[in-house]
Amino acid sequence: MQIEPSGPTLLLHSKMTSESSGTHFSLRIGNTINEMKKVVDLVERFGSAHNVSKKAINELNLCLDEILNNTISYGYDDKGFHSILVTLTLVGDLMIAEIVDDAKPFDPRQSTPPDPSQGLGERRVGGVGLHFVNALMEKVDYSRKNGCNHLKLHKKL
Amino acid sequence: MDIAEEHNGDVTIVEIKGRIDSNTSRPFGDRLTGLIKAGRKRIVVDLKNLVYISSAGFRALLLAGRLAEESQGTLVLCSLSSEVQRLFDLGAFTDLFPIYSSREEGLTKLS
Repeated sequence: MQIEPSGPTLLLHSKMTSESSGTHFSLRIGNTINEMKKVVDLVERFGSAHNVSKKAINELNLCLDEILNNTISYGYDDKGFHSILVTLTLVGDLMIAEIVDDAKPFDPRQSTPPDPSQGLGERRVGGVGLHFVNALMEKVDYSRKNGCNHLKLHKKL
Repeated sequence: MDIAEEHNGDVTIVEIKGRIDSNTSRPFGDRLTGLIKAGRKRIVVDLKNLVYISSAGFRALLLAGRLAEESQGTLVLCSLSSEVQRLFDLGAFTDLFPIYSSREEGLTKLS
């Protein structure tokens, strides 16, 4: 799927789909950190609509923050506008967040746990965000299709 | 995220409410480093009402902790919820800061 770079940055809809029993919420944001606030709101609304626990909502929001920050900060070689599509779906007892972007190929499923022996002076934070994602989500799926990264975060309700 | 600040003698208490994420980590870090640069060297960061802290927030906290150390100051944390404590543990940040169970305990240790 090619992401359309133009058009409104907010496409929010909630509908039952025939191919699954889940409800879909989706949102298209631009590639700036400021745009990420809209995703936090989307996840909160999705959680309220489906009685999802605060803990699950917060953990999903934290992981989306890590993934989107990574993509927006390091994923693009140009300074142009890019669109990122975030879709939330409820399937059984799982909340699934799918992120589709046309950034450089990046598979976040590999992460190294931080080294607890490092003190305050030498400690670096790089890699911790992906470690959070892989530790807090039940499952992370990644594929590269038609020039886009497709990432799916699975969180138990 | 909201930040409330109060002073108790020469100790500054900074209370965080909400999320520390990619959008709020900068104001959070700027507030802490601003206090240290202004000479407030004993700081208790009360995290009772913190919803979560992302890696961007931990980066800001590390920088503030280092600055406090370089300035011969002390930055301590208190009142972490179990969810926030889990993030500190997962990120191996727990041993990098003095962490107390209550604001009162933090104040006692700094006084």
